[in-house]
Order: sequence, then structure tokens, then C-alpha cells
Amino acid sequence: MAESVQDNVERGDGDNVKTENFFTLKKWNAVAMWSWDVECDTCAICRVQVMDACLRCQAESKKDFYGKQDCVVVWGECNHSFHYCCMSLWVKQNNRCPLCQQEWSIQRMGK
Amino acid sequence: MSRIGRTQLLPTAQVKRSVPTDSVVNFNHSAKRARHPNGTTGSSATAGQLEEIENMTDSAANTQKRANFSALTVASPNGVNKISANATNAKPGSAKKLIIKNFKNKPKLPDNYQERTWEKLREAVVAIQTSKSIRYSLEELYQAVENMCNHKMASTLYANLTELTESHVKANIEQFLAESMDRHIFLKKMNECWQSHCRQMIMIRSIFLYLDRTYVLQNPSISSIWDMGLHLFRLHIVLNNLVQTRSVEGLLMLIEKERQGDTVDRTLLKSLLRMLSDLQIYQEAFEAKFLVATERLYAAEGQRLMNEHDVPEYLAHVDKRLQEENERLLHYLDTSTKWSLIHTVEKQLLSEHITSLLQKGLSGLLDENRTSDLSLLYNLYSRVKNGLIELCLNFNSYIKKKGRTIVIDPEKDKTMVQELLDFKDKMDNIVNTCFHRNEKFGNSLKEAFEAFINQRANKPAELIAKFVDCKLRAGNKEATEEELERLLDKIMVLFRFIHGKDVFEAFYKKDLAKRLLVGKSASVDAEKSMLSKLKQECGGGFTSKLEGMFKDMELSKDINIAFKQYAGNLQNEFSASNLDLTVSILTMGYWPTYPVLEVTLPAEMVQYQDVFNKFYLGKHSGRKLQWQPTLGHCVLKAWFNQGNKELQVSLFQALVLILFNDTDNLSLEDIKAATNIEDGELRRTLQSLACGKARVLQKNPRGRDVADNDRFVFNAEFTNKLFRIKINQIQMKETNEEQKATEERVYQDRQYQIDAAIVRIMKMRKTLTHNLLISELYNQLKFPVKPADLKKRIESLIDRDYMERDKDNANQYNYVA
Repeated sequence: MAESVQDNVERGDGDNVKTENFFTLKKWNAVAMWSWDVECDTCAICRVQVMDACLRCQAESKKDFYGKQDCVVVWGECNHSFHYCCMSLWVKQNNRCPLCQQEWSIQRMGK
Repeated sequence: MSRIGRTQLLPTAQVKRSVPTDSVVNFNHSAKRARHPNGTTGSSATAGQLEEIENMTDSAANTQKRANFSALTVASPNGVNKISANATNAKPGSAKKLIIKNFKNKPKLPDNYQERTWEKLREAVVAIQTSKSIRYSLEELYQAVENMCNHKMASTLYANLTELTESHVKANIEQFLAESMDRHIFLKKMNECWQSHCRQMIMIRSIFLYLDRTYVLQNPSISSIWDMGLHLFRLHIVLNNLVQTRSVEGLLMLIEKERQGDTVDRTLLKSLLRMLSDLQIYQEAFEAKFLVATERLYAAEGQRLMNEHDVPEYLAHVDKRLQEENERLLHYLDTSTKWSLIHTVEKQLLSEHITSLLQKGLSGLLDENRTSDLSLLYNLYSRVKNGLIELCLNFNSYIKKKGRTIVIDPEKDKTMVQELLDFKDKMDNIVNTCFHRNEKFGNSLKEAFEAFINQRANKPAELIAKFVDCKLRAGNKEATEEELERLLDKIMVLFRFIHGKDVFEAFYKKDLAKRLLVGKSASVDAEKSMLSKLKQECGGGFTSKLEGMFKDMELSKDINIAFKQYAGNLQNEFSASNLDLTVSILTMGYWPTYPVLEVTLPAEMVQYQDVFNKFYLGKHSGRKLQWQPTLGHCVLKAWFNQGNKELQVSLFQALVLILFNDTDNLSLEDIKAATNIEDGELRRTLQSLACGKARVLQKNPRGRDVADNDRFVFNAEFTNKLFRIKINQIQMKETNEEQKATEERVYQDRQYQIDAAIVRIMKMRKTLTHNLLISELYNQLKFPVKPADLKKRIESLIDRDYMERDKDNANQYNYVA
């Protein structure tokens, strides 16, 4: 085995043609950070970053099964985003986006 | 004794039983008349008196007295025996009645009875005073006294006795007035005189007991015979100036001699001091002078020994002195002196030197951990006023000073936390064992630690975080789980003292992130335990993000399992490749922020990344993923001439190595262009691959540092005895930068806290002067800040219209709603 590898290497050197790689990737432990895909990173209603739970949830420190605070983000058709908790309280008073005054309808929810 | 008492009692008891009515019987014999009306009292008095006589005279005189009594019982012609014999005989014999009639004439005392009896008594008293034998029996004398009292001659008798005693006592003084006399001999003489006076007075009192019990008792203004004797002795002997000075000085001399270590006659001292207190001049004649002498002696001794001895020796000496004085109290001094004597010694030996002792020796004792000396110090200081307060203050400042040297020196950063732990252990031990767990000392200890540990801002917090990291990291096998747990508890104690807890959190978080991402945590249990300790200490808010990090790691496991399934189902060449991709998905905000470096990945990796992106975002809508190449690491299979190996490398190292698959000779610039790794990072990476322990690349020209035009070639001849080789990253510079970045982040977070505090205060107060606002801020903020920073924040809030400067007073702020 060792010999054959050596042969390959020598040949590779000589011909400048790749037959066998010196290195192959076996395992890759990558790291990635997720965040909400939002244009503005603070919720305009409670002024807290959307990555954190809204003020109300922080105070009550609600937790879901995983211990993550269950305070997701919601996007309107206008593409503005807020905490879902904040927005659901807001629409009870005024069914418009607080930023652009368009009729509020949910485009998608974070999960 | 009791045998004689019983035989004496017997006849009288018989009298009582055999005689039906007391009143009819009248005896001729004058000696018996007094006893008769209350026969029982009379006899018991006799018995009592006998007892006293026996008790008070020494055994030498005993035989003589016994002879006296036996003579009394045999020879006394009182006729009691005869009468009782008559009475008993009469009963069974016949019915004859025995009628006893009163005398026709009232019996009269002989004319010169008083003179004769007194003469007899006087003779006896003089015999006692001159230590000669008494001609009469004591019983006889006692009865003589009894009779005289009953014939209303008590006052004359008392006066005569007083006069007689007085003249005797007066005569005694001569021997003490001699021109010059050795003090010791003087004292001995004095003692002798006193002892014999007592002995005589006891004897006299016994004889005159009846006088004492009747006449004296009935006249409150007249003192008892014993007291009269004391009074006369006091008046004529001890109150004599010369005698008094001589004896007191003699006593003081003896005591001083003893204090200097000589042995002296303690019984002599005891007897004479008892004399003084019996004569009630102990306080005025002796005690005051004694205390002055004590004070002078110990004042001088204290001064001298403070200079000569070191502190432990001095303390031991003081302890010894106190013990000696206590023994002195026990052996001969009057107990009433106790408080003032001990107080004087304490004052001269301790109170006077409280501060200088502590300044001179406390730090030495603490340094050397001399627990027994410290216990002694504590015990001695607890005796004097303010002693413990002073000790506590000095203990406190010692800790502050010592602690400061541990904390302040950047050279000692490496060992700081361990030293702090050891120091805390040592001080705790001293408080517990030497200072009797005194709460004040415990609190003072805490206060001192808190004070010095915060003298250097941020660094102790950072180092404590690092210390914990070091202990929680895998490969740290020096401690068992319990030991680790105990260590963590101790660290939490230090942590409690730290004001800048946010600095600790930032560094702890950074290190925890590293442990979790590299899988280097020693034990999940230990991590969780530390987390719960932090939670207990600082509340859930402090740890929620740290907990989030653990959750992220668990969620990532599930995601990776799902991804493997997903990837396995994909029907393309992707699934054929055997690269094993594991992704840790971190929640932004929980984790420390890392610099985002865009790098160029090989096509294969990009493909993998895309597949994962698609998978993840399909599962979680509304999210975006930010890949963190700095944190990634890989396992590479490598083929060398000497066999194949597995290399554990960082993502950057892997990217560089993979380039050598295509060509085996690359310049620094080539590599930079191909990977797009940031320059400094790349140089460090290359250094680790070509200049470290495991050189899988060769640098040309050789050298430790990577220069601009260096070239690199694949080292096909690489050998290593291990199969799996970890190529360490070079981190030196990185940590410095990271550290600064972490601190910077902490400062930024603090800005928000300062802003919030300012707005809170202003909202409540509406208007406030600058100085008051600053002082309130210092009360609220739990981390150290400079006034200049506060000013900046105030300016910023004014700019943002949260508050305004007062128009009239530039030093005053108004809240803007």
C-alpha cells in the first residue's frame, strides 16, 4: 500500500498529472449561525432585537420544550417583520403595519 | 469530740426527764440556777461551745482541755446525779410524795461576788494572752460569765474585758516600732502577732460566749467580742503609720520578688492579706498601692519587652503574666482585687500596645500561618476594649494589601486565580480556627476580598473565567468529579466578589463556546453544575444565553441526524461522495460574535454547503444561515511516502492543504489568492503547517516566520509515529485580539446599561444636578465606570433628546418626556 502510494506520488511529480490526491477531506465539522432573515433587526413595536424574545416574553420567561423562548418572528406582506407576540396584540387595535400603514396580512412566520 | 459531747449531754437530759415541773425545783447551787428554767438550751449551748473550743484550739492544747472536762464531770458538785437517782428510786418503792418547797429566804449573792468572779476571769484572760495555762476549768469560767450576765453585770463585764484586751493589744505595738528591721522578719513578726491575737480572741470569745450571745446581741451599738478585738488590733497596731507602711511595703516587696521569678512564702502573704481584709483596710491601705506598683512594673515591662521580643514571644509572655496574676489571686490576693488587677495588667501589657503590636507582628503571623499564635492573639485581644476591633481592622488591611499584590501585578496573571483561592482558604482557616468564627471577622474578610479584587478592573474576572475553562476542559485529569465540584464552589466564592460580572460572562461564554464547538468539554455534568451555580448567583437572565448554547448543541445533533437521512435520499453524485459533514447550528445572539471571513471553498465543499442550506432553510423558514469558517475544523486523509495519516486540522489549514492536491509548490500570494483567507490568519495557518511540530509542508526559505515571498511545498517525506495527528493552530496573537474584542463588547453592553440607568433616574427625578446624577449612577451600576464615560453617555442622551441641559443652570439636567 505504502509503495503504491509512493509510485503514484512520483508519477504525479514527474508527469504533472494528478492521479491521486495527497489530501482528501474525510470529515467536516462546520459551524453556522442562524438568525431571522429580516431587514431590520429590531422589532418596531417593543424595540427589542428580533433575535431576542420580546419584552413581554422576557418578563414572563416563557420557554418551550427546548428551553428556547417561544417568541418567533412574523413577516407581513409589506415585508416588515415583528415579534409574533407583539404583532398579534397590535392587530387587535389596528390592523395595519405600524411601519407602513398597509393593511396587515401575514406573509410568513418564522419557525 | 462528739463522744465527749454526748457524755456531757446525758446527765442534763436525765434531769429534764426526771423532774416533772421546772418551777418547783430550786437549786441551792448558784451555778445550776441559770441553766434550769430552760435546761435543753443550756445544755446544747454547752455542747456548742465545746465544739467551738475543740475546733479552734490546736491539738497541742487538746489533751489538757480534755482533762479539764473529765475533771468537771467527776468533781462538779452540782448534785444532778443524786437528784435523778432519788427520783427514779422513789417511783417503784412506795407511794411517798416528794414535796419540794421554796426557800424561805431568797438566796443572795455573796457581796464581793462580782469582784471575785471578774478577778477569776481576768486571770484566765491574762493567762490566755500570755500563753500560760489557765487555772480554772473552761466550763467554770463559762458559767462564771453566764452568771454575771444573768445578774445584770454584763455591761461592766464587757467594759472590763474591752479594757483588758486594749491594754494587751497596746502593749504589742512596741515590737513593731524598732528602728530598722528586716522587712521579712517584720512581716513574720506581724503575722505571728496577728495569728496569736486571733487565737487568743477565739479562746476569749469562747469563754465569754454567753456575753456575746446575750448582752451584745441585745445592744446593737455594741460590737461582738471578736469585732471588738479586731477593732482594737486595727486601731492600735495596724493604723499606726509606721507599722502600716512597713507591712504594706513588705508585702509589695514580696509580691514584686515573686513577679521577678523568686519563690516566696505564699502562706505568709496570704495570712497577712487576710489580716488586712479582716481589718477592713485591705482596700485603702493595700490595694491602691498594690495596683500602682503593678501598673508601674508592667508599664516598664511592656515598653521593654515590646522592643526586645518579637510579637509571638511577647504574646506568650503576656499570657504567662496573666496566668501568674490569676494564680496570685487564687493563692493570696483578695478576690475583690481581681477585676482591677487583671485590668491593670491587660492595660499595661496589651491596651497600650494594641496598634504597635499589630503593626509589628500581625502580617508576619498571617504570612507564616501561625495559627496557635494567632489564636493566642485573638484570645488576648478579646480581653481588652477595642482589641478585637483593632485586630479586625488590621486583619482587613492585611488582606487588602496582600490581595492587592496578588491581583495587581500583570506578571503574576498566570497564577493569580490559584493564589487567590489559596489565600482565601488560608484566611478562612484562620478565621475559623483562630478567630472563633467571629462573624465580624468573616464579614471583614469578605469586604476586604471584594475591595482588593476589584482594584484591578476586569482582569481578575477574565482570569477567573479562564481558570474555570481550564478546569472544565477535557484532558484536565488532575481532579475527580467531587474535587472539581468543590473547586467550582470555591471559584464561585471569588466570583461573588467581582463587580464586573459581565466581563466574566463574556469570557466564560467565549470559552464555553470553544469547549462546545470543539467537543472539548470534560464533563457535561460539570458544565451543567457550573451553569446552575451561576444561575443561583446571578439569576436566570445571566445564564439564559449560556443555557441557550447548550440547547443549540443538542438541537444540532438532531438536525445532523435528519440531514444524514435527507442526504442519503438525494439521488445524485453528492451521495456517492464520502465526506462526512456535521454542522453546528448556533443561534445568533446566544453565542459570542465571531468575525465573518469570506473564504473560497473547494467546489465539493460549496456543494455540500448548498445542500445543507437548502435542507435547513426548508425546515426553518424565515431564517438565514451565516457560515463561520473560522470555527470549522476537518479531518483530512493524507498520503505520505511513509504511509497514510489522518490529520486533524482547522478549516483554514484544510483549505491550504487541499490546494497542494493540484500543485506541490505554491507561494504565499498563490495561496492567498486561491483561498481568500485574511492575510494574518493565513500566515499563522502556514506557520502552523510548515514551522510547527508536525511539518506537512516545507517552507522555502526555512525560518520561523512567514515572509512575503516564501514558497511552500508538500512534504512527502513527513513521518510521525502516530496515525492521527492534530496540527495545532497558532493562537498567540489571536488571543490578544480576541481578548480586546471581548472587552470591547463588554464595554458596548455597558453603554446600554448606563443609558438605561440614566434614563431611569431622570424619569424618576425629572431634574437633577450633574453631581447628584453621577452619584446615583454609581449606586445603581454594578460595574466600574469612569466619570468621563458617564459624561459621554449623558451627552449622547442629550443629543437623542432623552434629556436636556437646564437653560439657566448648565449643571442641571431636565428629563424630556
